[in-house]
Amino acid sequence: MAEAAAAGHATIIKDWSSDVTTFKGVPWGKAMMWIFLLSDTFIFSIFLTSYMTVRMTTVEPWPNASEVFSLTMFGVPVPLLLIAIMTFDLITSSGTMALAVNYGYRRDKKRAVRYIYLTALFGAIFVGMQVFEWSKLIEEGVRPWGNDWGAAQFGACFFMITGFHGMHVSAGVIYLLIVAHLIKRGRYDNTNYEIVEIVGLYWHFVDLVWVFIFAFFYLW
Amino acid sequence: MAVAIFLLVIVVGSVIFTFLSPWWFLEIASNWGGIDLTVLITFWVCGVVFVAVGLFMAYSTWKFRHKEGARADYRPENTRLEWGLSIITTIGVVAMLAPGLIVWDDYVRVPDDAQEFEVMAKQWGWAFRFPGEDGKLGTVDVRNINIDNPFGMNSDDPNGADDVLINSNTVHLPVNQPFKALLRSTDVLHDFFVPEFRAKMDAVPGMITYFWFEPTKIGEYEILCAELCGRGHYTMRGEVRIDTAEDFDAWLASQPTWTQMQAGISPKVYSAEGRRGREVADANGCFACHSLDGSQVVGPTWQDFWGSERALTGGETAMADEAYIVESIREPAVKLVEGFAPVMIPYDAETISDADVAALIAFLREETGPEAAPEEAASP
Amino acid sequence: MAQAEIPYQEALPLHDPHTWIEKYWFSQDHKVIAVQYGITAMAVGLVALVLSQIMRIQIGFPEFGAAIGITPDIYYQSITMHGMIMVIYLLTAFLLGSFGNYLIPLMLGARDMVFPFVNMISYHVYLLSVVVLLLSYFVPGGPTGAGWTLYPPQAILSGTPGVDWGIITMLGSLAIFIVAFTMGGLNYITTILQARTRGMTLMRMPLSVWGIFVATILGLLAFPALFVSAVMMILDKLIHTSFFMPAIASQFDSAASAYDGGSPLLFQHLFWFFGHPEVYIVALPAFGVVSDLLSVHARKNIFGYRMMVWAIVFIGVLSFIVWAHHMYVAGMHPYFGFFFATTTLIIAVPTAIKVYNWTITLWKANIRFTVPMLFAIAFVITFVVGGLTGLFLGNVIVDVPLSDTYFVVAHFHMVMGVSPILVIFGGIYHWYPKITGRMLNDTIGKWHFWITAVGTYLIYFPMHYLGFVGVPRRYYDNVLAAGGESAFYPQSAATLNEWISITAFVVGAAQLLFVYNLVASYWRGRPAGDNPWQATSLEWRTPQTPPVHGNWGEKLPTVHRWAYDFSVPGEKEDFIPQDVPRTEAARS
Repeated sequence: MAEAAAAGHATIIKDWSSDVTTFKGVPWGKAMMWIFLLSDTFIFSIFLTSYMTVRMTTVEPWPNASEVFSLTMFGVPVPLLLIAIMTFDLITSSGTMALAVNYGYRRDKKRAVRYIYLTALFGAIFVGMQVFEWSKLIEEGVRPWGNDWGAAQFGACFFMITGFHGMHVSAGVIYLLIVAHLIKRGRYDNTNYEIVEIVGLYWHFVDLVWVFIFAFFYLW
Repeated sequence: MAVAIFLLVIVVGSVIFTFLSPWWFLEIASNWGGIDLTVLITFWVCGVVFVAVGLFMAYSTWKFRHKEGARADYRPENTRLEWGLSIITTIGVVAMLAPGLIVWDDYVRVPDDAQEFEVMAKQWGWAFRFPGEDGKLGTVDVRNINIDNPFGMNSDDPNGADDVLINSNTVHLPVNQPFKALLRSTDVLHDFFVPEFRAKMDAVPGMITYFWFEPTKIGEYEILCAELCGRGHYTMRGEVRIDTAEDFDAWLASQPTWTQMQAGISPKVYSAEGRRGREVADANGCFACHSLDGSQVVGPTWQDFWGSERALTGGETAMADEAYIVESIREPAVKLVEGFAPVMIPYDAETISDADVAALIAFLREETGPEAAPEEAASP
Repeated sequence: MAQAEIPYQEALPLHDPHTWIEKYWFSQDHKVIAVQYGITAMAVGLVALVLSQIMRIQIGFPEFGAAIGITPDIYYQSITMHGMIMVIYLLTAFLLGSFGNYLIPLMLGARDMVFPFVNMISYHVYLLSVVVLLLSYFVPGGPTGAGWTLYPPQAILSGTPGVDWGIITMLGSLAIFIVAFTMGGLNYITTILQARTRGMTLMRMPLSVWGIFVATILGLLAFPALFVSAVMMILDKLIHTSFFMPAIASQFDSAASAYDGGSPLLFQHLFWFFGHPEVYIVALPAFGVVSDLLSVHARKNIFGYRMMVWAIVFIGVLSFIVWAHHMYVAGMHPYFGFFFATTTLIIAVPTAIKVYNWTITLWKANIRFTVPMLFAIAFVITFVVGGLTGLFLGNVIVDVPLSDTYFVVAHFHMVMGVSPILVIFGGIYHWYPKITGRMLNDTIGKWHFWITAVGTYLIYFPMHYLGFVGVPRRYYDNVLAAGGESAFYPQSAATLNEWISITAFVVGAAQLLFVYNLVASYWRGRPAGDNPWQATSLEWRTPQTPPVHGNWGEKLPTVHRWAYDFSVPGEKEDFIPQDVPRTEAARS
């Protein structure tokens, strides 16, 4: 075990002190996506940190998440039902994305494209449910500048952060569709279909961010 | 060669400038001599490094200038030298940091015998509050602020009843008594800074900040706002007068408490139009800059305003009548009262309608005219 | 595994321009993009220079200023726009957008940036951000006058100039700039990590590339904080959310009653979490470039290369945990002062090492006083002053009397205004021959240097002492409101300000010499040849000067040594370019 770790350590040093590329065998696009996601991580971290700060410094009480986000089914308010479905939907889409990447590397173009479309569909459903959730909250009187239950910052943070995430998902859906289209047209036939993995990285990142938003907004 | 002389002149010139310069800290008037000491330590450590590096460069650029046939030395690294310099630098840094942190510890720890008083900052002036006999400041809320309650006092808080309110840019403090200044702001960021005290702190809306100091020298010192707070930032000056304890007590006793201030508000009788004019003035924040009691805040006072002769910048005068008021609201920069800065923003008809201006004129005539005549104004 | 990297790069099809517009406007060649960035940044920098002259008129000659119509509004709008343009749109854009774009592929032996199309878009988004910024002057109410720090609540409440539209265009422009920077920055980092030529290891990269590399990483991690705070402030302004806005009783803004419960300090934390790394985003490329200039023109290897690299990396890491030293008197919990003062002063150690190594590089050198070298030396002495005064402001208790005074103004102009500008000038004089194939005029260059270097020192060195007296910064007029003389602003200080202003006018005018030199030398300059400075790094080894699209011929160069083999004992020439193979003779 220790030897393996030492060997891994040695490999890292070797790679970083080598010429041409630091990350061996990593295509440019993939490296660039990783770096972009690192930067994007900071954007979301700062959004969430600001949200936590605002929530702690504001003087008004914070609305109770499980009441605000409940969905009435057959006359019974079920807390977090919609969010649970949305989260499940997004995690499923991560699964289909992983399958698409897998088929991409196996050069099974047809299945890879099919799973990318499926992923995009799950993404679109997620955005649709988010639109539903937003309109429900707006109907109940939640506004970015105020609401009936407590601190005005609740609506502000909620709309801003879920909105920003929703934009990421929407952009991801468009990105997926473009990639699928280009693969079908044969643009990547001479490559190993790394493009599927690159778009997959982005997609998994968006899912991961959702998990944090879920935890901070709905469970806190 | 020129470069070596340039560097030499910079080093020598900077040192000479430092010794000949008339510009240095103003004579200290508080307990914060420790701050001056840390500045001096930093100054000397940094000064020595500056002179050393500068002279070294001057010598090198003179000695090792390009000469025909000469060749530079080849020495990529010298681990011992590099580590040695790092360690010396670290020692220098510690020599500056350690005393600094000790004094900072002093700065943030308020002594038990410090008395509290409040500094309230607003665009663009100061107000002060002392806790009164019970030694406790009453609670406040900016939402309560209006012309009759400039401090936003909560009337139902008994602690506030005997608070002494100083709605003026001048405050007195007794010498040799530590004070904890509690700072708040009603609108934007400000900063309470008296150069002779060395200490300063921002006033932040929505929270209370503090710092402490002990005045040690009787005299008058200027308060500056040191945090940009809008177009009138530079006009936001105040004055702190350090008195003997007796003088201070006498002064404090002559200032109104919250209870007295409430009792002293005489409900003046206005016409309907005049009352509406007062509401317009209140809603648009006119009283932030124009007082009714003769105190000069940001703008000229409105005491005895109506019908008075106004001395303008540039030597002219103007009569304070309707036309003058309309012009001063719509285009305030055209006729500027002498001694005041052009900081008032023009109010167009969208912000203050012509009807509101008319109401304001009625209010000013009734409030500040020599003979208030409500009946006359009420007739139409 | 994906592609055998180097043959892949060598065979990479380039987007060859066919029309004028593809060649000079929507070009995907990193060299053209670099020049585009440079020209745009210089143009907007000239605007900021004019603004600084307006300020100096007012500070030096307040009565004259008022007479020619400089109102407080114009003054505060000028300081705001001057600061923001200089920091973001000139320094950041020039050092990374221009130097970064030009030098990275050439110094690393790459064909181009890895994604030339994204690179091209990056410039045009940057251009858009500049246009939106300058739109501020044409919207109702004019540009914002909130100071470049844009602190709320002040920045979005009436009482500050430019709250109608100016603040929106400013924040919008910043957000657009961040998008542009991200597109460029991703390219720089990926190129440096994944597209070097044979033999070019990280530890053989010239320090310029190291500085740009670390600065770009800082930018990608720090700009998000500015982006987020810009978004939140736009929301606060436009739809009255209350992220940064507590309950307010504003005298001037009736809409202020809509706010409640926000935190002005949150903005300051976010702003400086971006703002402090931003200082190093500007400083680190300057550090790198100046190291190369000193080494080439002193004909001596940079002293302690490895230490220099690690110092850059260490400074970069530390720069993320020092931001609150801008907020010692902002009302945050006072105990933060202990932590941030300590981290801040720790940064002094790697920074001092860099200064020592620059000066030791001059020791036993063979210094050629070319114009780039003059600027490099002036940088070092200016930076020493600016760095040392930083120790005053970083040490929490020493900061208390000095913060918000002219000491701060003098400090940051020395350390991140004049210093990087001197490096930019030096860099332009150094690389202009490669970019255009012609030398810049030496005589004009020396005049430009002496006026600029001496002048800026005369402007900013005495300014520190005004800060000791307590002269506060951002005062439109120091005496007017007090109606005469003030203790903190004696007559002698007013006289000093007059002299500073006069010097500033001269220095400002001297920059026209430089602009003239740039333009005139393009046609009339002496032909430069491939390697006029006898430098070693790869950009001087291109088959053509100026380099053509694709930079190298069929094959990319192969690197055999570090970039600093000057005056190697036993060699005939006093420099050995990086792509010259090692022979037995070279080993000593």
